[in-house]
Amino acid sequence: MNKKFAVPSILVLLSLFVFVSGPASAQCKLGVPAIKVGVQGAASGPHADYGRQIEMGATMAAEEINAAGGVLGCKVEIRFLDDENRPATGVKNARLLVTDWGAHFTVGTDSSGVAMAMGPVLAELKRIHFFTHAATHRLTEDLVAGKGIKEIVRVSVPIYQDAITAALIFKDRMDIKRWANIGADYEYGYVAWNMFKETLRKYRPDVEFVGEAWAPFLTLDFSPHISAVMAQKPDAIFATPWAGEAVMLLRQALIQGVFDNVQVWWQAMGGSVDVLEGISAEVAKDRFKGKLWATARYIHNWPDTADNRAFIERYRKRWARFPNYSAETTYSAFFIMKAAVEKARSMETDKVVAAMGGMQIRNPGGVREFRSVDQQFIYNVPAGRPVMDTRYPIPVLGDLKVFEAKDYYRYPPFTPVSVTK
Amino acid sequence: MENFAFQGLIGLSLAMYLWLISAGLTIIFGVLKVVNFAHGSLFMVGAYLAYTFYGQLGLPFGLAVLLSLLGTGALGFVMERGFLRRIYQVDEAYQLLLTFGFILILDDAVKIIWGGVFKIPPIPAFLDGSWPVLGRAFPVYNAFVIAVGLLVAVLLWVMFDRTWWGRIVRATASDREMANAIGINVPWVFSAVFAFGAMLAALGGAIGIPVRVVAPGIGATMIIQAFIITVIGGLGNLKGAFISSLIVGVLSAYGTLFFPVFELFFIFVIMAVVLLVRPQGLFAR
Repeated sequence: MNKKFAVPSILVLLSLFVFVSGPASAQCKLGVPAIKVGVQGAASGPHADYGRQIEMGATMAAEEINAAGGVLGCKVEIRFLDDENRPATGVKNARLLVTDWGAHFTVGTDSSGVAMAMGPVLAELKRIHFFTHAATHRLTEDLVAGKGIKEIVRVSVPIYQDAITAALIFKDRMDIKRWANIGADYEYGYVAWNMFKETLRKYRPDVEFVGEAWAPFLTLDFSPHISAVMAQKPDAIFATPWAGEAVMLLRQALIQGVFDNVQVWWQAMGGSVDVLEGISAEVAKDRFKGKLWATARYIHNWPDTADNRAFIERYRKRWARFPNYSAETTYSAFFIMKAAVEKARSMETDKVVAAMGGMQIRNPGGVREFRSVDQQFIYNVPAGRPVMDTRYPIPVLGDLKVFEAKDYYRYPPFTPVSVTK
Repeated sequence: MENFAFQGLIGLSLAMYLWLISAGLTIIFGVLKVVNFAHGSLFMVGAYLAYTFYGQLGLPFGLAVLLSLLGTGALGFVMERGFLRRIYQVDEAYQLLLTFGFILILDDAVKIIWGGVFKIPPIPAFLDGSWPVLGRAFPVYNAFVIAVGLLVAVLLWVMFDRTWWGRIVRATASDREMANAIGINVPWVFSAVFAFGAMLAALGGAIGIPVRVVAPGIGATMIIQAFIITVIGGLGNLKGAFISSLIVGVLSAYGTLFFPVFELFFIFVIMAVVLLVRPQGLFAR
């Protein structure tokens, strides 16, 4: 090569190199190429829509954060894994995401069973996991407030929503004296029923709990369960199977004439988008006769704020679906992470947790407030009855009962709730 | 008393459902001497095909079920011709590995073709609603399942006991070399029996779609129950499969009524007792 051109051409090459590779990492003030966020949820089987919604919420949050310049100039990168709703898979995924892929944070998890298995592992992996669906109270009350596992942060409302709101709504229904349970046969189902009974008993010592039946995951035929509890002539049913199983449970209850014989059916997480889509035809024909009640961990038609409306518009444009609660909670978890990291200017667990202290953050689902003692974000979600509304193509919860979070969250000192059948 | 009888009827519908799945499993074992672990996956494929024809293409429910049987039967034919046939000579452990491999392949294939999310077709009008039975509302759908199960039982009995084809199959089952010697085309019988067993599995899956979850993974749950039933009844014994389906179906329904906390445990206790007392199964000769 001609020496006259050698130096300039090397300089040009170097500058090209700097231009191409330089700015992205040079701008990231955390000294990493990107903030890696591992995401997991149930993405196959009857509960698969939750995992998909978690993935959609995470993807959209990462896209929006990156489009607005990232977190302290760092791009957010996500990787989604299916936990198949199995504890062993959830634990394996957590290890893989952190140790193999190098995740700085992890987000998601649908089932309480998976969450409780992951809890102690997170402490060992030293990475914060933002739980966005798993509901058992023990995750935050026992593992965080009790055992001090700082790596657990919960963005979604726990089982207080499923159990305590139900008790508050129906305590005034003097016509309902006999409650029966068709429960999900694992921790979530046990705790929901026990917490409901405990709360309702305080207000209504006259109420009887007359029957229970338990259905494990992948129950295809609920008719023995329905028929067993109906044999006790209950006034109301408390039901916790969720997602596709909730849809089929309700359909099997309809053809067994349950809605002719009970006053109320509480389908705890029946306000979930996949369930509302699944029971659309039945709601349109009023087959539940106004007796079906449900809640969720976020419903898209509440709160009626500009933030929420804009979120739904963007979400529908991006995915052609309504956001389920696992989408909103996951989406919000990313913005909570962003706010905390920006304040801490670090991704270390202790600093991020400290930065969340006293945090109040406006999310599509409303203002969430961080409670340090159990690292639970506090916000409220109403309950109501699935109805058709001309503004929406699928049923929404209507006739909303709104309770302030302070009226139905549990507060320390946390008293134990039985976690067995 | 009414509640007891009503729960028994519900148990009967559960039993007939289990019977449809275990019948195919036990027939295949009886003739081919293969424990087809992928039988539950054929049940799942049957459900998905019926969903496609009925829920997506809008064909009448009965026609969708029929097409699903044909499709799954064809898949069974290919599985036997293309794969199982090559390992009849080798150790049985290879059969387990191969059929287990099919579970994984079919589960993933279903996810690729239909996606991971559950499917919910509408309930056909003729299966909607209930009849008054014993002062309660008995679902037309459960009555339909009972009818299909009994019909299949009668058809199988007539077919195996009263027809030329049944005699050939029984001859092949009892001594395949002798059957070959007297001019029966044994390989053809094997393919036909496997395809037929696959169709029985598909029937269970297909008639379930209006009220049961159609999702990846349902095959694995069904194969466990079907396997327990064939073990209780005696592997390869059709009458045994029918009666043990009744025992398991009705007792688990009563388990749900009387011992809700231990209900799941029930079916395994029955199997354990049978294996201890009569390891060859209740009806094995």
